[in-house]
Amino acid sequence: MEDYAEEIRTPPVALVAVVGVPALHQTISAALHVEQPPINTLALPDFSRISIMTSKQKETLDSSPPGGIMKRDWLAKHRTKIPAVVAALFNYDHVCGDPAQWLQVCTDLENLKAVIRGRNIKLVVVLVQSTVNVDTSEDRLIALRKRAEIDAKYLLVFVQSDPSELKLSLNRLATVFAELSHAYYREEGRKIRTRIEKKIFNSIELYVRYCFKVAVYAEFRRDWAEALKFYEEGYNALREMVGTSTRLPPTQRLVEIKAVAEQLHFKVSTLLLHGGKVSEAISWFWKHVGSYKKLTGLSNVAFLHWEWVSRQFLVFAELLETSSTTIQSTTSPLSKKPLTEWEVQPAYFYQLAAKYLREKKHCLDQTLSLSESSGESGGTKAGESSLESVVPSVYVGQFSCILEQEEAFIMQPLTDEEYVLYAIAEGKRFQESYEIIALLKKSFDLYSNAGALRVASYCSGQMAREYYVAGDFSKAKHLFDGITDLYRKEGWVTLLWEVLGYLRECSRKLGSQRDFIEYSLEMAALPTVSNSGMITTDHKGECGPAGPTSQQQKEKIQREAFGFLSGELQLFLNEGTNSSIDSTEIQPIELEIDLVSPLRAALLVSVAFHDQVVKPGVPTLFTLSLLSQLPLPVEIDQLEVQFNQAICNFTICKLEHPSSVADSSGPLQTETIPNLTLVTNKWLRLTYTIIAGQSGKLECLTVICKIGTNFKICSRAESPASMEELPVWKFEDRVESFPTKDASLSFSGQRFIQVEEPDPQVDLLLDSSGPALVGEDFVVPVSIISKGNAVHSGELKINLVDIRGGGLVSPRDMEPFSPDSLHVELLRVSVSNENESETGLDSIKNIQQSFGLLSVPFLDIEESWSCKLEIRWHRPKVVMLYVSLGYLPSNEATAQKVHVHKSMQIEGKTPLLISHHFMMPFRQDSLLLSKIKPATDSEERETLALDEISILAISARNSSEVPLRLISMSLEAEEEVVVKPSGEVSAELAMLVPGEGFKWVFSVIPQSAAPSIGVGTVSLKWSRDLPNSGEIAPRITTKYKIPVVKVERPPLMVSLECPPHTVLGVPFTLCLKIQNQTPLLQEISYSVMDAQSFVLSGPHNGSIDILPKSEGILCYKLVPLMCGQQQLPRVTVTSSRYAARLQLSIAASAVFVFPSQPYFEMDGKGIKRLPATSDTQATLSVT
Amino acid sequence: MIVCVAVVGHQNNPLYLQSFTEADDALKLHHIVHCSLDVIDERVNNPKKTGPTLNETFLGLLYPTENYKVYGYLTNTKVKFIMVTTDLDVRDVDVRNFFRRFHSAYVDAVSNPFHVPGKKITSNTFAQSVRAIVKSFGSSTAV
Repeated sequence: MEDYAEEIRTPPVALVAVVGVPALHQTISAALHVEQPPINTLALPDFSRISIMTSKQKETLDSSPPGGIMKRDWLAKHRTKIPAVVAALFNYDHVCGDPAQWLQVCTDLENLKAVIRGRNIKLVVVLVQSTVNVDTSEDRLIALRKRAEIDAKYLLVFVQSDPSELKLSLNRLATVFAELSHAYYREEGRKIRTRIEKKIFNSIELYVRYCFKVAVYAEFRRDWAEALKFYEEGYNALREMVGTSTRLPPTQRLVEIKAVAEQLHFKVSTLLLHGGKVSEAISWFWKHVGSYKKLTGLSNVAFLHWEWVSRQFLVFAELLETSSTTIQSTTSPLSKKPLTEWEVQPAYFYQLAAKYLREKKHCLDQTLSLSESSGESGGTKAGESSLESVVPSVYVGQFSCILEQEEAFIMQPLTDEEYVLYAIAEGKRFQESYEIIALLKKSFDLYSNAGALRVASYCSGQMAREYYVAGDFSKAKHLFDGITDLYRKEGWVTLLWEVLGYLRECSRKLGSQRDFIEYSLEMAALPTVSNSGMITTDHKGECGPAGPTSQQQKEKIQREAFGFLSGELQLFLNEGTNSSIDSTEIQPIELEIDLVSPLRAALLVSVAFHDQVVKPGVPTLFTLSLLSQLPLPVEIDQLEVQFNQAICNFTICKLEHPSSVADSSGPLQTETIPNLTLVTNKWLRLTYTIIAGQSGKLECLTVICKIGTNFKICSRAESPASMEELPVWKFEDRVESFPTKDASLSFSGQRFIQVEEPDPQVDLLLDSSGPALVGEDFVVPVSIISKGNAVHSGELKINLVDIRGGGLVSPRDMEPFSPDSLHVELLRVSVSNENESETGLDSIKNIQQSFGLLSVPFLDIEESWSCKLEIRWHRPKVVMLYVSLGYLPSNEATAQKVHVHKSMQIEGKTPLLISHHFMMPFRQDSLLLSKIKPATDSEERETLALDEISILAISARNSSEVPLRLISMSLEAEEEVVVKPSGEVSAELAMLVPGEGFKWVFSVIPQSAAPSIGVGTVSLKWSRDLPNSGEIAPRITTKYKIPVVKVERPPLMVSLECPPHTVLGVPFTLCLKIQNQTPLLQEISYSVMDAQSFVLSGPHNGSIDILPKSEGILCYKLVPLMCGQQQLPRVTVTSSRYAARLQLSIAASAVFVFPSQPYFEMDGKGIKRLPATSDTQATLSVT
Repeated sequence: MIVCVAVVGHQNNPLYLQSFTEADDALKLHHIVHCSLDVIDERVNNPKKTGPTLNETFLGLLYPTENYKVYGYLTNTKVKFIMVTTDLDVRDVDVRNFFRRFHSAYVDAVSNPFHVPGKKITSNTFAQSVRAIVKSFGSSTAV
């Protein structure tokens, strides 16, 4: 668009001229310029300059056909030189001054009138005053008006002193100017329109010219509709001229028509777009292009045509782009179909502009080569001299030759031959490539901004192609590289092939051997497009330098690449360096293939260990699989497999390569194989055994393929289980096989293996003597015996874990957690070494309640070390004891830690079960009220009678599995009770075998009544019975706290008095004493049930009253009737006050009946005779 | 005349692409089909607000190039069909009809138990039926 002249590009603006009083010109022109619509001012300082408006000799209507369609400078003339209105400015002083000045004014006016008369230019006379209230002489003004031959309203008074007046004057001026210029342009337009309507023209050229003029005049007065109408009219008339006009030689005629059409089209498009009629503009444009596209003209000037077409696209794209802000989504309702966003994209028009510019370049190159080959050097020589004088002629789209004749320049028309020579010479100066790239860049930017990646890539590819053609290979390569990713990702093989073909050539031209090989291999490994048979002929520039994709082409490329590597082919004929790199100059090339490399198709390496875990030093199977999609088999000379443990690296060689084996023989292991050839799409599977050196992870990192002497492919090893599909091949319908023979290994195989620790050569022993007992410090001896390894920086870890997993504190215990409540505790670790002082401080590192860590001193082979763990159980519980030893088998830095683990389950048991119970004395009972009422509080508390003797029996039973020895027992009584041992306590050194029990009896007299009274604590000392060893087992004290009791004063006491034994047939008395301890009268009712063994005398039922603090007695006489243990008649007493019934227990209400009077003898204490009778000795001996 | 038909998969990869021209412009047609994916992407991502297009598989005219018109169709499994024609005046009905027949041919082809979904369509039967559909498209517009 910048090629067009300013007057074409912008809408025309009315022009007025001001003459005289130059001091005011600045003010007036500035004020007119900001008017709406603006008016341009032609300022002429004095009247001598008015000659520029002078009309030249007009063409007469009936003259011969015009020399051209439109004059080049006509529009410019009307926009800058010929005003619509002339304003003559006169100072008031001059008009009303002395006669000489008035005369001057009249002369100036006459001259001006003479100049403008021919052109019909409107005249305005302005009288400039300095103040408003100056007396104006009416006569002078009328005279002036008469002289100027103007209407009264066109004689203006301009006041310049007062700002408000100045503004008013300027406004007045502008209104008059607008009105007059509008009238001027309307008249001019109408004049020409009449000529059109009356068909007063003798050639179609003039018709076009008139249309153009009418349209321009319409534009001057902003009549867009009429302007559009006449531009279109002219355009259509012009189109008809193509076949008919004969005025000029054919080539130049076409050029002229196209130049005019271009101008008219531009005007139409601009008007349509500014009117917001986008779809009309676009369809108009396509019509325009469609009708002119075929008019290529002669083949040697076809480039001019294509340049013209390209310019149409470019200009329209620019127009669209500049107006795109205003036309957002304005789809005209008139159009049948709404436009898609893509149709109004300027990017597409830029792209097409580039396309046709390339076409132009192509044609120009053809023309140039033709002209060179035909060897018309003489002709061009002569032509060139005349070419320098070729200039654009006065008509649009015409060129002519300036000849100097008699000191005057004469325009002479050119012949077609001369014109072609001129055009070719002009065309040579033009750098199309960069122009094309700039257009494509613009298109690329626009598409990228719109988010259309693929079209942008296409443009980018076209740009790169242009750079390639222009010989800027590094830029081309950079651009091509940018678009390959998209094609790879989406699997567009044909497009990728084309781009790679260019890239391959670029790297060849740039001398980059590595890139050349990479691109060659990638191309060769691409899939063949199945229906590529469509591409039959080799079309230059269409398929790229690589030609169409086909199997043969791929094979050729592979052969070239490998041929180059082996030095057989010399491909690098680089113009830049001007030296062919021969085989000796080939640098060693090392390609790297990683997980995302496109070269994976050329060589895919998969490695799998057959196992997941292995011991160090134990061989394990390892499969290496290689796959290539290259069309021809690839011979590999050597494979180098590298692991993260360098000791495992190995090399695979072909058998017939002994030299390379010798080279690499060293620390590396070398395997040989008869054949290392990769066939297309067929896995080469190699299985070897690997011996892992170190524990930890053994991972296969890379596999390096060596082909020939200076080519290496370093490929990242991939696990078959996590192998990605080949990016381009994954859409291909091909035979897929597994990388390993075992299909399951293909799904699970990994490129790494876990190497376990070496087997420890050290014994860790845990000893334990049976179950542990609660309370004792249970000793677990731990010994470390080195068998084959020395122990360096050994570390012993001890851990106690509850076997049920609940930790060492039972969650059921409601007591809050505290260190004391820990059930099992690791107390200490004692090291039984002689030199304890040496290891003293550092040896025990950390002992916690359930965890211990201590260091083990250095042990040489065959040495041993031991320690003892002391563990105390607070509750019976089963725990696991875990002991683990970690050590280094040697002092070297590379030594790996070896671990030995041992565990043992230890059960903690309660050694002694201590229990107690209270009893009343024999045949005595007390009424305890709290026993009658059911206890409201949940805890069952023993109730004792105040100040009465209660019997306390304490028993200890061995509940463990080992014999225990009781050492002593004591009861520490509380203050509120008096406790006396009943009988002698002689528990010292009593042995308790498992299950056996021991009892002590105490009498307890509570001293005060209270709901809770502590009785005391039993301390029992015991030890394990160690019969075999001489050592004395540690004494352990187990404490047992007797639960608190309730003490209350009983209101009634009942005791049964009866002899301890009776004799058959001898009567005895049974007394029931009821003691009332209350200060109240107690009514007691009683009843006796007969017993069959006794004859009873006395009341069966009845009641007695017992006075306060006194005793009531019930007496019965009984005669036993049967021998043996007999049940006495049962007496039931009931206290009516307390509603309490008392019945003596069955044990208490039984008596032994002897058949006759017995005798007793006791050891060492003499004979005791029962006081009752003395004649029963024989009976006793019998029993 | 239809010059090219294409089936494009989920990852915008070509599953089937056949051109029907004598001239040597297969690569150009590849480019056109590839570039038209941009338009489909845009259509699919910014659907027009109007109701009836909601379940519409026929995408209509994607974009007119200088010499071709490109039409698109999106199946319910998000496979794209693209058709490039040189006819400048095409009735929508014809194109819809064409795509409907093309779709059923495609469904037949991928229903083949030996066809792996997502791979290129190499079936000869499919190619033949496509050719027949393309031919009949030309004749029906001529009538």
